[in-house]
Amino acid sequence: MAAGPVAGRFSRPAEMFWTAFSSTRHTGLFLVAPALLFLAIWFLWPVLSMIVSSFSSHSVDGVMVEGITFENYTRLFSSDLYFRILMRTVRIALLTSLCAMVFAYPLAIAIARGGPSLARLVTITILAPLLVNVVVRSYGWQTILNKAGAFAWILKQVGITSPPVLLYTEWAVLIACVHVYLPFMVMPLAAAIGRIDRTVEEAARVAGATRLKVFIRIVFPLSLPGLAVGASLVFSLSSAAYVTPQILGGNFSPLLGTLIEQQILTLNDWPFGAAISTLLIVMVLTVNLVFLNAVNRRFARWTESAR
Amino acid sequence: MTETVSPAIRIVVAIILLMVVAPLVVPLLMSISDTAFIVFPPQGFTLKWYAAVLANPEARGSFLFSLELAAIVTTVSLVLGIPCAAGLTRFKVPGQDIMLGIILSPLIVPLIVTGIALLQFFSMMNFRATLLQLVIGHTVVCLPYVIRSVSASFVLANRNLEDAAAVLGAPPHVVATRIVWPQVRPGILAGGVFCFIVSFDDYPISMWLADGNHFPIPLYLYTVIERSFDPSIAAIASLMIFFALLLVLVIERVFGINLARLAS
Repeated sequence: MAAGPVAGRFSRPAEMFWTAFSSTRHTGLFLVAPALLFLAIWFLWPVLSMIVSSFSSHSVDGVMVEGITFENYTRLFSSDLYFRILMRTVRIALLTSLCAMVFAYPLAIAIARGGPSLARLVTITILAPLLVNVVVRSYGWQTILNKAGAFAWILKQVGITSPPVLLYTEWAVLIACVHVYLPFMVMPLAAAIGRIDRTVEEAARVAGATRLKVFIRIVFPLSLPGLAVGASLVFSLSSAAYVTPQILGGNFSPLLGTLIEQQILTLNDWPFGAAISTLLIVMVLTVNLVFLNAVNRRFARWTESAR
Repeated sequence: MTETVSPAIRIVVAIILLMVVAPLVVPLLMSISDTAFIVFPPQGFTLKWYAAVLANPEARGSFLFSLELAAIVTTVSLVLGIPCAAGLTRFKVPGQDIMLGIILSPLIVPLIVTGIALLQFFSMMNFRATLLQLVIGHTVVCLPYVIRSVSASFVLANRNLEDAAAVLGAPPHVVATRIVWPQVRPGILAGGVFCFIVSFDDYPISMWLADGNHFPIPLYLYTVIERSFDPSIAAIASLMIFFALLLVLVIERVFGINLARLAS
């Protein structure tokens, strides 16, 4: 009967089926196919057809016009309003990456070099907010930056009675974006710093380098691959952010996400919404593929020559 | 020479960590304030805002719907993802790199764009089942995470043990259940937990596909923040934060998954 006591749970046909199934030439394909088909139908197809529709246009009465047009793209760059939103999005995404980098280094060093208890404390404190909904985290900043909020209260305690208005400005969006996307910078950076050979740092210290020198000459350059991963993640995520700018920027500083939502849900201009979406994909792909590849290639060449 | 981080860095780290937890602590303080609107510092003490939220059928309905949606999405993602990961790592698949590219591509495209593309696609096909739309939309986003997490554990599993078992006469299904399964279970668990969280917290996909009868909790929270100003919002936010803390505890203690594993 069964092959042994451990196989007792299996009915014989199932067992024979698996034995036969796992040894054909196409087993791998059969296993991969369901997930692959699912993503091809419900992801690739919709996204590609959206990109195609961004080259169509509709006339004033909403009827689709035949043929290919670049009108949706030229509109994005020629209209002052839309161009300002595009520039604001790029600016906030770049600033978010930059600020996240500044905050992430001390945290990453603490995780990679701080000993088990400090590393664990920092890791948990950085990652736990990821489990809290973005809406809630943005709302938290709203309560802090509010006119009657915690930030104004703290400033009043130190004697500043007319606190700067931050809520519903780009600053509020920037602060909250840095907070929301910081973990995505810290983790790859900590991994990269953890891979640096400690003896290199120790040798530099023994040779008389200050801690700052060690950071500038050793830790920073050797952590560049991690920094590149983190920066492109943070840039991609913040350039497509919707919830945080909506809650903290109000109507005064919309980003591309808000523009897409308005064009599609309020104005029903699908081709233009699709064009902005396609532009977002292009931006993100450029950063992820081109930028990451360039950094990694340079880094590889550079560490090779150092050996 | 065993050198740890300098005191200066410790101080900087402490300040940053305080700023990281601040937006999660302040709503907690606000939620017990006995005032009609939000002020800092909170005045008085009351739990009436919590009572109001817990008695609110809309809030409860959205919360339960999100749990249900996340459970369905996790099940579908695991059913599709585990065989796929096994196929990619253990068998020869033609055009492996292209397939991997397709499978991981939803991770690169911004979520908001995936949502629009799906909405446009569904309306083009006249496809109106909202729950199914939401399940598909969330699964598209979650499946790559599951496949990545499970594939990683398949790669890490020790193949010599499988060969040894096979040499000793174990048929393939015994190798699969007794040797491979215990080694890949942590990856499956981590992938499933992450998938659940991504679905439960999703906003940018749901915002396009949801309707009034299928209204996930993130969307509900957003509408409440937009339209009201009393501390009851702080109370809902606090409840969500408590729920997240509970999740951390469950993940770390019950499932025994290191939180850092989810982020990698």
